[in-house]
Amino acid sequence: MKVIIDGKKLEADGHKTILETARESDIFIPSLCDHPQLLPFGGCRLCIVEIKGRKGLVPSCSTYPEEGMEVKTDSANLRRMRKQILGLILSEHPDACLICSEKENCDEYKSTIRKVGEVTGCVLCPNNGRCELQDVVEAIQIDKIDFPSVYRDYEVRRDDPFFDRNYNLCILCGRCVRVCHEIRGASTVTFVFRGSHAVVGTVLDRPLQEVGCQFCGACVDVCPTGALTERAIKYEPLPDDQAKTICPLCSMGCELDVMLNKGRILSTRPSKEGAVNLGQACVKGRFAIKDTVYSSQRILKPMIRRRKELEEVSWDEALDFVAQRLKSYKGKEIGLIQSPQISCEGNFLVERFAREVVKSQNVDFSTGISPLEAFYETAHKDKVKPRFNFKREEISEADVILLAGLNLAVSHPILWLEVLKAVRKGTKLIMVSPDEPLGGRHTTVCLRVKPGSEASLFNYLSKRLLKDEQADGRVLEGQEFFTTDLAKLTAAKVVESTGIDENTLNYAARLLSEGKSCFIFGMGLIQDSRIEQNLAALWNLALLNKGRIIPLGLETNSRGLFEIKRKSGQKTKPFDQIVQEVKGGQIKALYLFGPVPGNKKLKTEFLVVQDSYLNKMSERADAVFPAATFAESDGMFVNVEGRMQSFHRVIEPLGDAKPDWWIVSQLALRWGKKDFLYKKSSDILRELKKAIPAFSKVSTSAQKGGLPRFIQESDKEKEKFMPLKYQERTELTSKTYPFLLGSEYNLDYYRSLILSDEIKGFEIIRNPRWFKLNPKDAKRLDLEDGDEVEVVSPVGKIKGIIRNTDSVPEGMVRSCLFWIEEPSSSPLLPVKIKRGK
Amino acid sequence: MEKINATRLEELKAEILDSRKDQKTCITVCGGTGCHAYGCLQIADAFRDEVKRQKLKATVDVRTTGCHGFCERGPITVIQPDGIFYQRVKLEDVAEVVTETIRNKKIIDRLLYIDPRTGKKIIKEKEVPFYKKQKRIIFGNNGFIDPTDIEDYIALDGYKALAKVLFDMTADEVIAEVKDSGLRGRGGAGFLAGLKWEICRNVSSDVKYIICNADEGDPGAYMDRSLLEGNPHSVIEGMIIGAYAIGASEGYIYVRMEYPLAVKNITLALEQAREMGFLGDSILGSEFSFDIHVFKGAGAFVSGEETSMMASIEGRRAFPRQRPPFPAQEGLWGKPTNINNVETWANIPLILNKGADWYSHIGTRKSKGTKIFSLVGKINNTGLVEVPMGISLREIIYEIGGGIKDGKKFKAVQTGGPSGGCIPADMLDLTIDFDTLTKAGSMMGSGGMIVMDEDTCMVDVARYFLEFTQEESCGKCVPCRVGTRQLVEILTRITKGRGEERDIQKLQDLAKTIKAGSLCGLGQTAPNPVLTTLRYFENEYEAHINQKSCPALVCKDLIIYHIDPKKCVGCLLCLKNCPVDAISGERKQVHVIDQDLCIKCGACLDVCPPKVSAVVRYTGKKKERVLKNVQSKRAKK
Repeated sequence: MKVIIDGKKLEADGHKTILETARESDIFIPSLCDHPQLLPFGGCRLCIVEIKGRKGLVPSCSTYPEEGMEVKTDSANLRRMRKQILGLILSEHPDACLICSEKENCDEYKSTIRKVGEVTGCVLCPNNGRCELQDVVEAIQIDKIDFPSVYRDYEVRRDDPFFDRNYNLCILCGRCVRVCHEIRGASTVTFVFRGSHAVVGTVLDRPLQEVGCQFCGACVDVCPTGALTERAIKYEPLPDDQAKTICPLCSMGCELDVMLNKGRILSTRPSKEGAVNLGQACVKGRFAIKDTVYSSQRILKPMIRRRKELEEVSWDEALDFVAQRLKSYKGKEIGLIQSPQISCEGNFLVERFAREVVKSQNVDFSTGISPLEAFYETAHKDKVKPRFNFKREEISEADVILLAGLNLAVSHPILWLEVLKAVRKGTKLIMVSPDEPLGGRHTTVCLRVKPGSEASLFNYLSKRLLKDEQADGRVLEGQEFFTTDLAKLTAAKVVESTGIDENTLNYAARLLSEGKSCFIFGMGLIQDSRIEQNLAALWNLALLNKGRIIPLGLETNSRGLFEIKRKSGQKTKPFDQIVQEVKGGQIKALYLFGPVPGNKKLKTEFLVVQDSYLNKMSERADAVFPAATFAESDGMFVNVEGRMQSFHRVIEPLGDAKPDWWIVSQLALRWGKKDFLYKKSSDILRELKKAIPAFSKVSTSAQKGGLPRFIQESDKEKEKFMPLKYQERTELTSKTYPFLLGSEYNLDYYRSLILSDEIKGFEIIRNPRWFKLNPKDAKRLDLEDGDEVEVVSPVGKIKGIIRNTDSVPEGMVRSCLFWIEEPSSSPLLPVKIKRGK
Repeated sequence: MEKINATRLEELKAEILDSRKDQKTCITVCGGTGCHAYGCLQIADAFRDEVKRQKLKATVDVRTTGCHGFCERGPITVIQPDGIFYQRVKLEDVAEVVTETIRNKKIIDRLLYIDPRTGKKIIKEKEVPFYKKQKRIIFGNNGFIDPTDIEDYIALDGYKALAKVLFDMTADEVIAEVKDSGLRGRGGAGFLAGLKWEICRNVSSDVKYIICNADEGDPGAYMDRSLLEGNPHSVIEGMIIGAYAIGASEGYIYVRMEYPLAVKNITLALEQAREMGFLGDSILGSEFSFDIHVFKGAGAFVSGEETSMMASIEGRRAFPRQRPPFPAQEGLWGKPTNINNVETWANIPLILNKGADWYSHIGTRKSKGTKIFSLVGKINNTGLVEVPMGISLREIIYEIGGGIKDGKKFKAVQTGGPSGGCIPADMLDLTIDFDTLTKAGSMMGSGGMIVMDEDTCMVDVARYFLEFTQEESCGKCVPCRVGTRQLVEILTRITKGRGEERDIQKLQDLAKTIKAGSLCGLGQTAPNPVLTTLRYFENEYEAHINQKSCPALVCKDLIIYHIDPKKCVGCLLCLKNCPVDAISGERKQVHVIDQDLCIKCGACLDVCPPKVSAVVRYTGKKKERVLKNVQSKRAKK
């Protein structure tokens, strides 16, 4: 349709507001509450315009164009009104500097940085120079405020991690409230009180950490003023440069904008153009990147052990030393542990190094518990070929989503946003988990199963679907035995084993039968010995319901590494066997690229650690190579969707750190392997593409516009039911060990750095030392929040502190990351809890 | 209760009337909120006991009815069928009334109402001047109906209109009838109800809602409350008819929690209506199904705004949103929704029973029917009055309202609540309807009418109303949230004698910005009290600003209390009553107020005997002169 704005004839569509339409044609209309990601609000009233034939003034941010509409964005009356409205806003906002005639050259006279707690003018405001209110004052040109100023005198809230809230600067645009509600689905902040007392706040004015805030920082990003400011940049200068990177702190691979000053990272923001994250991030991408890169635990120099001490040496010395020692072992005596947190190029080269240089089959990565791997293994045995690629948007296209064995809002917060988007447009959400997952209130039905009974739940749902199904005549391979097997499954049995009543089970089945379904599962389904049983049951259910099934890996590049291992066609030993051989002494030299569970107990003759951070293994290593982080190197990660994303060097490597591929390539040269000589990582990528066709579609310029690049896989899933693989349920707990210890799977570490060790805020929101316990259990044991305890299992013990939460079912203890510290073949352990000192 | 159909409804009415034919006499006790406060429930119980004691139960019925409107004179008892009107009835009077009036057919003189103007005692309710000028088509049945008994409503042709609509009329015919009646929404803006229905009907959607706006929030207004409390079924019947015309399947009554009796009565009425088949599936045996929920609001003034009311029902903060889309296009839960005020709904059964033609003969050319006002303030007959559109302010205030209290002079009347405006004495002959009020700078609003006498300071009044809107602003948009706050700041400054020359201009500019810039009706009308007082009483503002004087002697910072030495008889009364011991003096000696200690509470003025009236207030130049005298006297000492 055609509209006329300020005399310009413009093409408009009915889905964009007048404000958006005008902006696209570079017609400026001032506004403060409008935000491109949020629904129209119409609160600040600065964007008012005149429309021919319409009575009064209308806000352009919440008015849609109509055919032939004539809009005027500027007139004497509008200017007068805007000045007065802005004057009203400023009467409640510290404004001395905003209207100061000397504001341009203020910095010259300012001898020091801000040192005050209360902000009384822009020069004292952390947002000075990036403030939208300043821009609007500039545009409207206000030089005098006609109203007495009111200082609202709110206490500045500093009791939460990562950012401060100073509502004396708030202009009540509502962006924080809206982004938290509309996009993040958290609704932790809202407007409280009425009239001139209206302000943004939390329920009962509690700190954010107590009202379910996940500190994603979306509110900080949309705040136009200094009311919400990231604490880390409060006293920092403004950025002089900006670059893009890919967040390595989970498998989503969000695109981040890195703010730089003099080559140093100031902070990171979610990139608005990010195809994966669409302008959103989580606490890790938003607040953890800088501290991760500049951690005090960074390894900055190559080191080798001489006279029992680790000594800093030159690269040549270190490489020569390691090459010389490794050459003294046979291939089968050498083990290499890869890392799903380093680039495809790095991992590809490690694999080649093992095969071609030291001639060892002992190469695998440490987190043997990967949903991708487990799903692939299970399916492979039955000659079923599942697909692994998906697109974020596919999730919100589903009519019903079933999440099993994961706490998506914590483990993959950005993917959770897609689920929320679906829920908002009416998609039904079913969650299957022993725990109450975060965001449980968005679920249609939450099936809190007893741990280990997931398979019988899925099978029962299948049985119901078979019963209710309108015969469409489709009979798939394996359906006969599947049907007969299910006949044996009675409702009573399932109710008993899952602990869920029959009505709820039937309701869930009915929801599943209503439309296109999507099944997403995570680590929770593969944490005991019944992995195959669980996955087969879920696969069959998805197949029967014609739904999509998506396994979610956790680590940055788990999909990339999985593809490299799956497609390289090389025979390698699995991780568990490598560990056994290390313990048995068959493997004598170990080269580590990433953390190993239970690393304390691995003893070898010769140990090389290549990492960015000091850790328990590096303390004992014979040689330590300082690896550059993602921010200091180039490379490619494949995210959970199968999307191939390149990242580029943002800052110079700290100290003598070098990219992983460079270290491996230099080491290989010590064997005279000329074909390991690479100048840049893209040379390796080219080779990777050749060696593994799944990567063939990627080009180094993939990110510079153009279509997203995905891992190549055959489109055709083989549709076939898997045998049910009944496995006897063994009771893990006993009188001596009455609790079941299970892990929470969040990727709260980068290589060897546990985020909470470096970042205080992480300790506050997700302390890895927490043992989460149901309050009823805690009461029985007379334990309170913060009590020191010792959790003892038949294989060892760990210390930690008690955290009461209803989200954990009775009889269970939840802890995150414990498996990094403690070895265990099964991440579900029977334990007892003792009061510690 | 049985579920009934349309034919059974007629029979039922006949049966009810028949069952009551022996009870020739009926003692009705007003059960409105005002009379509740006077203890009417105990009085009604006492009547029941007394009737039982005197063994009159077979022939005498006692009913607690809805509000009679004349709250000033509660508790009110009317004995039917004669319509004997007893006012300010006490518990001790009960036995006498039964014995004398019921048994012996004698009138008890002291309980009768005395017309203050003629001094004559009046026996019958309809002869009382308060009622005489009224046209109580909506409100009239309140006095005959026990709101907790659906049979009372049915006996008075209740649900007859519904039966007619469901079986003899199409939805379009209903809309045409309502349109023809010229009924305009009673909630404030006065939009044509039939047209509003038609717009909503014409939007196609699987689900539609209707809402009854009972979030009456104006200070001093309580007509919607009295309707819900006194005649809930008339509102319910109106809503069912509206739902049928619009094609809605669900309705909400949004009523504030501060109206517990209204909530109770409407909830009970809904239950009874549901049981009898007026609500629920296939109403009265027709194909039409509809039900109503009661939603209790938390009492925010802004919830009365349509879009914020819907937000509130959806469980969100009551924030209004920009229109379009209008509720008829995208309303509750995104579905087409029609919202009307309680009084509008109560008009509907009447229009359909008696016809658009009959209805449109009441009122003026563009405002049809009657309007209920809540007449409060400095007026003799406080209460709820229902008058035809086009009546003059003078008739309401002097003939129905009985004039100004204590023989004072009328100064202004605020219509339309805090969003309305003040109308001055020289406009008393204004005939009121939607358009004339708007033209005068005020509005009909929901029908609040606050009468002010000569002792009212108009700047102070403007400040009072602005303080109200300022506190009730939802806080969403800047002009309303901050603008009203700044208006209050300026007005407070003026009443404190710190007004500046430019303040009047500032007030006008700011008021203009708030009106034009605010998101919803609350902000768009909030400056009206300032604008109308500026329009009609600018001299008072000027006096405050330029002479630092408050002509009405109200603004504490601008007045002093003074004891006239020529009049003071030295009775010690004021001295004893002064809470801060600011008055000195001996018996039979002139008392003096120490101006430094005086907190201007006015206790001395109140207690000084009218014969003496030695305590006076001064403002402006006179005040300065007195102060100067005091100072010079002190200096001499």
